[in-house]
Amino acid sequence: MIMTPGLRKVALTAHVTSSLGWFGAVAAFLALAVAGLTGQDPLMVRAAYLTMGLTTRFVIIPFAFVSLLSGVVSSLGTTWGLFRYYWVLLKLLLTMLATIVLLVHTQPIDLLAGVAAKTTVISASLHSQQLLMVNASAAALVVLLVLTVLSVYKPRGMTPYGWRKQYGQRKGIAAIDAATHSRSG
Amino acid sequence: MSQTHGKPDRGSAPSTPGWVKMFGIIFIVLLVLVVILHLTGHGFGSHMHMLIREHGVQRL
Repeated sequence: MIMTPGLRKVALTAHVTSSLGWFGAVAAFLALAVAGLTGQDPLMVRAAYLTMGLTTRFVIIPFAFVSLLSGVVSSLGTTWGLFRYYWVLLKLLLTMLATIVLLVHTQPIDLLAGVAAKTTVISASLHSQQLLMVNASAAALVVLLVLTVLSVYKPRGMTPYGWRKQYGQRKGIAAIDAATHSRSG
Repeated sequence: MSQTHGKPDRGSAPSTPGWVKMFGIIFIVLLVLVVILHLTGHGFGSHMHMLIREHGVQRL
């Protein structure tokens, strides 16, 4: 079903805002993760992990879901479709994967935020989790950058499904044209 | 988003573009890398539950 231009712009605005908001929030998360890992001031380290916990729950996760949902709506409501072009399909798969990985990583984020809420000293046993936060958010930034590049460049390439759809539509139009010409001629 | 690329007009489907194949190769390499990291104990799976018990932390 093709959306009206007004509705399409609403969906696109939601998609662009949430996707770039997600990117910006993860960039801030990375800065906090680095501050938490390398910071010498216990109060600053504590503040960093508390902020990371809240940012994940109230900014990053909502943006991820709005981005995924608005992307699906925008694709299905336009001629691009969801499975017709490789760049749209890859965006869908990467966004789904990034959202799943994000949800899996809420556990170590909660752990660090929970420890920071209870004490000012982050135990050495949590060093691997602190490092994980830096690595995971850096990797997430790369994935989100790839998603943005795909959206802007829209590299060419139609999936076999998209090709069959387009070929079928063209054959249908050609048949209608031929019928119209034979009647008028 | 009304612009369209690669308009096929023949009977056979177009081949998969090179950039998609490259993407797939990079993805598989990264996936294997992540699996190896987790299998060698660099992931957070069971270690995570141990840390949660050790620190007695609840969800925020």
